[in-house]
Amino acid sequence: MQKIELLFTSNMKLILIVSALFGAALSLETFVGHQVLRIKTKNEEQIRKLQFLETLEHLQLDFWINPSTFSLPVDVRVPANSLQAVKIFLESHRIEYSILIEDLQAVLDREKQDMVASQQMERSSNTFNYGIYHSLSSIYEELDNLASEYSNIVSKLQIGQSYEKRPLYVLKFSTGGSNRPAIWIDAGIHSREWITQASAMWIARKLASDYGNDPSITSLLNKMDVFLLPVTNPDGYEFTHTTNRMWRKTRSKNAGSLCVGVDPNRNWDAGFGGPGASSSPCSESYRGPSANSEVEVKSVVNFIKNHGNVAAFLTLHSYSQLLLYPYGYKCTQPADHAELNALGKAAANAIQSLYGTTFTVGSICSTIYQASGGSIDWSYDYGIKYSFAFELRDTGRYGFLLPASQIIPTAEETWLGLKTIIEHVRDNAH
Amino acid sequence: MKRSKGSATHRHRALPVLLLLLSAQLPRPAVAEQPPWAPGVERALDPSSRLAVGAARVALHNYNFHAASPSGLRALGQVRKATVKSIPGVGQKCYLQFTTEDYRSRENAGSCLATVLYPKKKSPPAVNIKCINTKDQKQIQEEDNRLYQKLKRQTKPITGSNIPDSFGNIEPALEPVWALAVAGSSYMMWEKSTEKVGYFMTQVKSVKQWMRKDDSLEFDYVILLHEMPTQEMISCHMRLIWLPGHPLKVKYTCDSENHRLEDGSGMESGSAAGIIREREENF
Repeated sequence: MQKIELLFTSNMKLILIVSALFGAALSLETFVGHQVLRIKTKNEEQIRKLQFLETLEHLQLDFWINPSTFSLPVDVRVPANSLQAVKIFLESHRIEYSILIEDLQAVLDREKQDMVASQQMERSSNTFNYGIYHSLSSIYEELDNLASEYSNIVSKLQIGQSYEKRPLYVLKFSTGGSNRPAIWIDAGIHSREWITQASAMWIARKLASDYGNDPSITSLLNKMDVFLLPVTNPDGYEFTHTTNRMWRKTRSKNAGSLCVGVDPNRNWDAGFGGPGASSSPCSESYRGPSANSEVEVKSVVNFIKNHGNVAAFLTLHSYSQLLLYPYGYKCTQPADHAELNALGKAAANAIQSLYGTTFTVGSICSTIYQASGGSIDWSYDYGIKYSFAFELRDTGRYGFLLPASQIIPTAEETWLGLKTIIEHVRDNAH
Repeated sequence: MKRSKGSATHRHRALPVLLLLLSAQLPRPAVAEQPPWAPGVERALDPSSRLAVGAARVALHNYNFHAASPSGLRALGQVRKATVKSIPGVGQKCYLQFTTEDYRSRENAGSCLATVLYPKKKSPPAVNIKCINTKDQKQIQEEDNRLYQKLKRQTKPITGSNIPDSFGNIEPALEPVWALAVAGSSYMMWEKSTEKVGYFMTQVKSVKQWMRKDDSLEFDYVILLHEMPTQEMISCHMRLIWLPGHPLKVKYTCDSENHRLEDGSGMESGSAAGIIREREENF
């Protein structure tokens, strides 16, 4: 240490001491004017010089990466009033450096602004931005807002609880009557399919605001009720935000396995145990220990059964741009295949009319793959003829990571497809 | 024809359904997936069937890899025509005609003719593909060169993670690196595809540039592939070397089994055999 000190000129020492005193006097708490320097040392000697610098506590240097070996860069935050001294020190010893961050406070301010802005967007009830992806709590808050803003036709029901005890909320759209024939719509059964939960929220507001303004929706809600479950798998959805964006399944623990979760769309009582679903808990398509083992699935089944008058069962997935009808668990055609196919094609045409987005129509088995335990197979075999599954945008470019700019266009076109089916049900189902 | 029940209201109700039935195009029966078929006979495929669409995707993976052009990447538009022939002792060969779009702009990029042979033994599908160019090839080359120069100018190694991010955003500065990942991943996806299993590139989990003394650009990637129809997320480590006008050099290893713990760590090898057996059962 003493050897190194002798290498300094007395002027240099003076500069360092003066700046130290100056810095101590100011004791700033912000990072205004602080710079982050990246220092590239060439040999052991330069490392030792940096290590000496580290010992000068009054410079208040904050080493983000410590000097240890000359093959790695050293990053150090230098307070504004130590800058000149440090730079002179480095330059006089021909130690290479560059400025990584010119003003740390500016960077921090920008970051904070972004965070506050997005938090504000989430918090303000009047400005729930339908064109961005939301947290679960933000969605749940907006459900309350919709129910209160359109209290004449919208109410919020809880149909059960998830595995981790989160509420399963359904919005009921109704103008009265007693147990009118109903349309069921659900989204987000697979948590990573974020476009579905986002579209469901837009559709909820659209449905509510169209009553009294759009003749078709007005006549619909004068005859029928609509039940909308925007987040069928809230545990999974939360997990995609906090831990793994690609999580698909529920979050239930599997006995005897370290792997978590069941594929909720292989868990319905329709060909359960058949091909197209895995028996391994670690698989993304694990069917679960038994049909309806998942409380999320059971809650929907119970609701539909207890209601007793559901005329259509529509479910949203992504991605692939498909409009599917049963069956998935077997490759034979359902009895109503002709009508369902025709109706599907009409809905696909309606979707295409808006932005040109093409949907392929067909049965699950012939269009994607044989898959047992699916929801629309169950609903169809239960007696709900108009059972359809939508696979929304896109066809693979972004897949699950669909940019938020596509949320509203996707929701708009999907709504046209849903409306086509719903209007047909309104005019035919009794 | 639905038999009228004699009352006016019933007839009225049946009419809309009838109209739908009459106006609808009845779908062709699902012929493709039912074996056995006479060998050597070429039979038509529903262009929207998963065999046809899957084969078209495989052909495009092959095209994108060989084009080695981040600005010239193509995505599948629509399959127009598809036939398949079973070649005894060899495998299944699909003949395809399909449209393509520019990967980024979704503009029409021209149609392609391709054959895809899925061999009986597990090896990459053999692809022959020829495409029409609606975009000026010189323009694409210039874009590639611009991209290359921009990347070459960086003095610090480029790094990134989660591209696109959870919300589908791609930082403009990292777009070229993402496009290169698509081109490189096409090689992996082409090699791994079979008649029954296909892939999509989901995300670049991480990328790190290795600075080179020569003119080439080299990147180390961790890529997430979405496997269909298993729905599994496969993590692959990919090394890519690119120089415009030259073939893309790609080396990769993917997590071999599709059953893994929630955070991506693998399971004991004892279960791997069970997994492979199971996948065959499902089909």
